[in-house]
Amino acid sequence: MATEVIMPRVDMDMASGRISRWYVEEGVRVEAGQPLFEIETDKAAMEIEAPSGGILRKLPLADGAEVSVGSAVGWICAPDEMLPQNQPEAQPEKALPDEASAIPQTQGPSSEAAAKEPASDRRFVTATPLARRIAAGYGISLATVQGSGPRGRIQARDVERLGANGFDHAQGSQDPASVPILSRDSDSDRPVDRIIEPPIATPADLPHGAWLRKGEGPPVVLLHGFGADLNSWRLMLGVIAPSRSVFAIDLPGHGASPALPRPDLRSLADAVAARLAAEGLSNIDLVGHSLGGAVATELADIGTVGVRSLFLIAPAGLGPEINGAFIAGLARATSEASLAPWLRLLVDDGDVLTPSFIRSTARQREDRGIIKAQTDLAAAMFPDGTQGFSIRGAMERLDMPVRLVFGTNDRIIPPGHAMHLPPLAAVHRLPGVGHMPQLESRAMLGRILAHHLHDGR
Amino acid sequence: MTFIPASEKILDIGNPDRELSYSQAIQEAMALAMEADPRVILMGEDIGTYGGAFQVTGDLIHRFGEDRVMDTPISELGGAGVAVGAALTGLRPIFEFQFSDFATLAMEQIVNQAAKLRYMLGGAVSVPLVMRFPAGSGTGAAAQHSQSLEAWLAHVPGLKVVQPATPYDAKGLLLAAIADPDPVMIFEHKLLYKMKGAVPEGHYTVPLDKAEIRRAGRDLTIVATSIMVHRALDAAAALAEEGIEAEVIDLRSLRPIDTATIVQSVKRTHRLLCVYEGVKTLGIGAEVSAAIAESEAFDFLDAPIARLGGAEAPLPYNPELEKASVPQVPDIIVSALALAQGRL
Repeated sequence: MATEVIMPRVDMDMASGRISRWYVEEGVRVEAGQPLFEIETDKAAMEIEAPSGGILRKLPLADGAEVSVGSAVGWICAPDEMLPQNQPEAQPEKALPDEASAIPQTQGPSSEAAAKEPASDRRFVTATPLARRIAAGYGISLATVQGSGPRGRIQARDVERLGANGFDHAQGSQDPASVPILSRDSDSDRPVDRIIEPPIATPADLPHGAWLRKGEGPPVVLLHGFGADLNSWRLMLGVIAPSRSVFAIDLPGHGASPALPRPDLRSLADAVAARLAAEGLSNIDLVGHSLGGAVATELADIGTVGVRSLFLIAPAGLGPEINGAFIAGLARATSEASLAPWLRLLVDDGDVLTPSFIRSTARQREDRGIIKAQTDLAAAMFPDGTQGFSIRGAMERLDMPVRLVFGTNDRIIPPGHAMHLPPLAAVHRLPGVGHMPQLESRAMLGRILAHHLHDGR
Repeated sequence: MTFIPASEKILDIGNPDRELSYSQAIQEAMALAMEADPRVILMGEDIGTYGGAFQVTGDLIHRFGEDRVMDTPISELGGAGVAVGAALTGLRPIFEFQFSDFATLAMEQIVNQAAKLRYMLGGAVSVPLVMRFPAGSGTGAAAQHSQSLEAWLAHVPGLKVVQPATPYDAKGLLLAAIADPDPVMIFEHKLLYKMKGAVPEGHYTVPLDKAEIRRAGRDLTIVATSIMVHRALDAAAALAEEGIEAEVIDLRSLRPIDTATIVQSVKRTHRLLCVYEGVKTLGIGAEVSAAIAESEAFDFLDAPIARLGGAEAPLPYNPELEKASVPQVPDIIVSALALAQGRL
């Protein structure tokens, strides 16, 4: 959005001014506060500064023309932005400035310029301090909130409404008790602090999880990748030591788990952690594939649930690149025909994908809610085909056994992302394998996992 | 103006529901202090036989004599100077101004002497002086006899400044002021002098540094001073019929100001309206607003802070214009409604 450069009023009885010289050429980048031009009134000469940073676009003015106070003399635009259409020409001195511009002002964009900006394109969100506080508690971006106050100011009630509706909608909850509301308890010294509860705290809202096997010893917890669900791990059961308990979770927006209204890595990890805590699990060996690997790392870093070790299969979050076409195509696909080409990208050798695998995968995706949830999730987490999050910071902080497995022929996440990891992390590279070692190299993956878990060795 | 000699009322022992007017309560406080402490003297113009411009001292001259109820010449500077000197040398004078507007004449003694001597003399002396200022508009006394200048004096470190809004507080704050070792300025509202309210007999004090919540509410906080407390309470009653519960805080003390009470209230109600009779700009409301903006309550605000204050003009003589120059109950209702409904 371009910012207007106006002829300012620099003394009380000034009605117009004349630009005596420009300091900056047309089309040159300027910084906010940089002197733009010098004006002359009948009393003084004065430097006028840029109201914002950007590219200077001057309006054509005759040399020495008198310009009414408050009229535009140019615009500050973004680099590729054209001059706004239908902008008012600088008015030669005639009509008296209107009431708004009659307010003495030195420099900066006129109030009319601000008013012209459509509300949807606000660069600065106006919100009351309380609304900001509540939005932070809900994890709501104020940019998504419609303000009901004067000039669109967001007030507490707007955020409360959205917060409540957002969770109702996403999780089908009819229980008003599950909606955090603003406490009005006058006995409380710090009433508002109470609303800042994680929205996933109620049991009905937690992600779905299932025991694939009840056994002995510390439980192995499995987190699947984008577009899959917990059933995808059933292939792996045979290579996990039979003595082990195995618990798998549907990530939010996958399988039987409700979607998060505004998913990001932290909220996914929080949701999974809440599910594990509700299950009473701690001291777990955590296994994650792809997106689930990133969630697992984040979860281990947060530390709300005790994680004993981390086993990451082609994890996301180690670099910006990802096969964006795959993500978008998989998220949209509902039929076997649309699904099969994308699924083949998961593996190096497409023949390992059996028709029944493709069919069962397609059937899981008949649920329109899942398509919507995963499209939204993809947009939030992989915007423009980029991994919009990183686990490298978390990985640096972890002090536990960490082991990564990458197929050298991964066509979803570049296997090179496994480079430059902290020295504590071990990396196994499986030659001739794609993004799903679980399918293509199950036995080897099982042996590596067994080493990692010290099972049967 | 009906005048009931305080002496008759003081003998009226044993009535817990006893009501006094605001001016009777002040007179009773002075009489109690004078009976208890021979150092307490009254000074001021026409406070003797005439009984004071607003008949607050009444017949005290007959009870305590001319030596302790002293008419001073018509020079506020001179009278205030003598009062400061008397306080410095061991008496506890109560100096009455006929109108608070005349504080301007005595500013040297108040601001440069009374407020500062304890500090400039390293704490070796104190100035146990009480000054009483009949203040405010509404009596048709025009521009030089109707102002609310309390914020002027509240700007001066070394002074304490209070504004009683009820007969109870008028007595309790005055007795606390007399007992205080430092100069205390009491701004009394002329329109409140006839107001009646429950006043306990005997000696009691009201703290010089505490605001009082006059009505509890959840939807907005109205901080008011002096007569505006009553207008705010009237407005709150009307707002309650609209389903809006306003909390009304009587600020009571301007210096020191009780920020904590306001902060706690605003954290509950999320909205603040300041109502005061002094000129709006650079007045009490500016201080209260800034105190909230600087405090932990900032993060709990759900609307801009609003102020209602006196007009930016000398007070007019014309009664309608005079009324329009200071906040009235409908003004408070309108502002509070806009604030509570998220329209400000």
